[in-house]
Amino acid sequence: MTRRELLGVFAGAVAARAKEPPAAPVAIGKAAGYDGDLTEALGRLFDQLGGLGRLVKGKTVTLKLNLTGSPALRFQGHPLGATHYVHPRVVGAVVHLMGRAGARRVRLVESCWASGGPLEEYLLDCGWPVRALAAAAPAVEFENTNNLGKRRRYARFKTPPGAWIFPAYDLNEAYLETDVFVSLAKLKNHATCGVTLALKNCFGITPASIYGDDAGLAEPNENPGKGRAEVLHFGKRGPSRSAPQELDPRSSRADGYRVPRITAELAAARPIDLAVIDGIQTVTGGEGPWIRGLKFVEPGLLIAGWNPVSTDAAAMAVMGYDPQAGRGRPPFRDCDNTLKLAETLGVGSADLARIEVRGLAIEQARFPFPA
Amino acid sequence: MLPALLLVGAAAWVPARWSSTDPKTLELLRGTPVNCLVVEQASPEFAGEAAARGLAVLLAAGAGEAPEAIARRAAELRLAGVVLEGGFQAPGVERARRMLGQAGLTLIELPPRALLRPEGGGPVVGTAQGLWPGIRVFDDGAVRAAPTGGPWVETNTGLLRYLRAASDAAIWIANRPPPKAIFPVERYLVAIADAAIAGARWVVALDEDFQARLYARQAKALAAWERIAAHLRFYEDHGEWRSWKPASRLALIQDEQSGALLSGGVLDMIAVKHAPVRPVPRKLLSAEALRGARVAVNVDPAALSDEQKEILRGFTRSGGVLLSGPPGWKFPLPEGDRITLEEKDQERLNEIWREVNSLVGRRNLGARLFNVSGMLSNLAAAPDGKQAVLHLVNFTSQPAENITVHLAGSYGRVRLLSPEAPERELAPYAIEEGVAVEIERIASCAALLLDWKE
Repeated sequence: MTRRELLGVFAGAVAARAKEPPAAPVAIGKAAGYDGDLTEALGRLFDQLGGLGRLVKGKTVTLKLNLTGSPALRFQGHPLGATHYVHPRVVGAVVHLMGRAGARRVRLVESCWASGGPLEEYLLDCGWPVRALAAAAPAVEFENTNNLGKRRRYARFKTPPGAWIFPAYDLNEAYLETDVFVSLAKLKNHATCGVTLALKNCFGITPASIYGDDAGLAEPNENPGKGRAEVLHFGKRGPSRSAPQELDPRSSRADGYRVPRITAELAAARPIDLAVIDGIQTVTGGEGPWIRGLKFVEPGLLIAGWNPVSTDAAAMAVMGYDPQAGRGRPPFRDCDNTLKLAETLGVGSADLARIEVRGLAIEQARFPFPA
Repeated sequence: MLPALLLVGAAAWVPARWSSTDPKTLELLRGTPVNCLVVEQASPEFAGEAAARGLAVLLAAGAGEAPEAIARRAAELRLAGVVLEGGFQAPGVERARRMLGQAGLTLIELPPRALLRPEGGGPVVGTAQGLWPGIRVFDDGAVRAAPTGGPWVETNTGLLRYLRAASDAAIWIANRPPPKAIFPVERYLVAIADAAIAGARWVVALDEDFQARLYARQAKALAAWERIAAHLRFYEDHGEWRSWKPASRLALIQDEQSGALLSGGVLDMIAVKHAPVRPVPRKLLSAEALRGARVAVNVDPAALSDEQKEILRGFTRSGGVLLSGPPGWKFPLPEGDRITLEEKDQERLNEIWREVNSLVGRRNLGARLFNVSGMLSNLAAAPDGKQAVLHLVNFTSQPAENITVHLAGSYGRVRLLSPEAPERELAPYAIEEGVAVEIERIASCAALLLDWKE
């Protein structure tokens, strides 16, 4: 860590002490499988949080899906939603509940892996029932945010003081044209960040047209075909020059340093209003089938909360981890703790003592992931 | 007098390798479509029983054996003919051909791919050099990924589709399972379908363990054999599909000298993209062959005659998009046991692939398929244009589920046919480029039978 980075962390910590990050209740519930009544199970969670109506009535709700990696890659032949993608039945239930709670428009978004095509087609490639999803609420839209898509310009989202990597991010305008932003995530590990939950899911709001390995140097490449390893993970090159460049090009290039910070910055720049974590079926050991040592598991859990850091903290506790663990402790063996970094930026609190858990207690829901 | 089946001729033969010389094992063929046995040895009793059952028996000769001697032996046993597998000296083959012709017997040549010539004039065009169809895995069991990000499918369809386009003869692929391997029956079902969707037939060949259990009539082996028979029957019951022509707005111009005899070439790469493609053998290139095509890929521009170049100029003048292979690059030819590209050629092929991929993009060239990684498809149309069939083969070890097909065209009726399930009517719904259907589940293989809307 360079002196500047150290000072940055220190400055962030001082800022955090000055103003305690917000904590919010988290609800945990059981769901035996995806064939049951997920509308009822999720509706109960949202009711335990105080209900969706006050948040979404008359609003444009944007649901960021977790569709990690190519849909062609399956783990042991399981459906994608049973392993490393959020399950379409969970998505359908959330969409339906949003519509029932009076949302004016529900927009499903994802920056689809290596693709600038329509999200509907990507979802068909995932085996998702697109027509059923479109009919789950009165006005459902689909948008691939990996490039401009049907929009004319990117929207710039500034990171708060104390940010480490970028001063701002250029994102698809769909994220600006949003009243309520929901991270619809999966309960799973992540090889780089330790866990993939509501926060890490939103790493995927970055367009590969700008932040992808084949992003244009000067202007975005509107036909992206690669991931974001070179720009975001390892900082081997910068994003398209049309977007803000790195704050400190001499900072660490290690992905265990960069990815948690970028994730935290994104959560600060584009705040998450609701976090929903699908832990009914999932994998342990990594975020997708390209990671060796994955294991299919069935925790049978759904987790939701208004604050993504608090929700992720409760989810981590359910997974058997300490949400305040530092680098070197599981699951953050070779990386910094995204939750703590987000806490530093004022996104939310990872302090379990400040987080009210409703529904199932953490002990009742505990499903240990690998240490 | 030869039984009726023998008189039908090679075009109707449904071949299988048969290693037992026990006439009683022929009872296993009762009720199956298999009507032609490729054997390495036969006794008069076996030959007599086979003839009584209407089975054509072909005596196989491998490289190193004298074709005339095999032909003589086949004639003595009053078999249906001889199969020459591998490379043979031409004079010996010609002597065997004359000998068999005089006796009214058939000669089938299955040469190495390098010697394969679709215009050979025999009743069957084929080879015994093939890949064992399935998903390619590394030694540690991990699935190998293709450039598309999906699993790498080992298939013979590229070669077979080219042969189908280049010849009116029956097409056979007579590869055997890898030695010392034991496979679940599903791999055999895929091998059958891999050939059938290209309008060809796989010469059924069971691994040694399966053969032994089958001849001993073990229950599991019998059940597996019944499934194999059901899959053969499925494609024989719809034998007309074999002659239907590939339906696509994408034409691929190539020949034996530009990669058509290799597996894993351009045709296979396009197939993995799930884009329908119409192989056009260079010698058959004409304005008619390109009719309806909007995109053409010409693998080896240097091989074209002036007349053929003019045909392609006409194609582009009328709005067609033409993509040519990299200048100066010659596709390697199959050599010895090598029937796929080497690493260095693979890299060059990737250059073509990127171009083709960007050309194909999201265009609907006849059909677009979704959620079909680990599967292959082939779209073919009836001569009168009133029907088409979209073949689907699932190479993975799990059933394929929740597939969506976008069809370019106005199809009024869509039926899902498969070997082990009743026919199902699907409900097409309108989309921008035609109609779409959803398929809940495919086990090993299936076909969508499409009726054009009047």
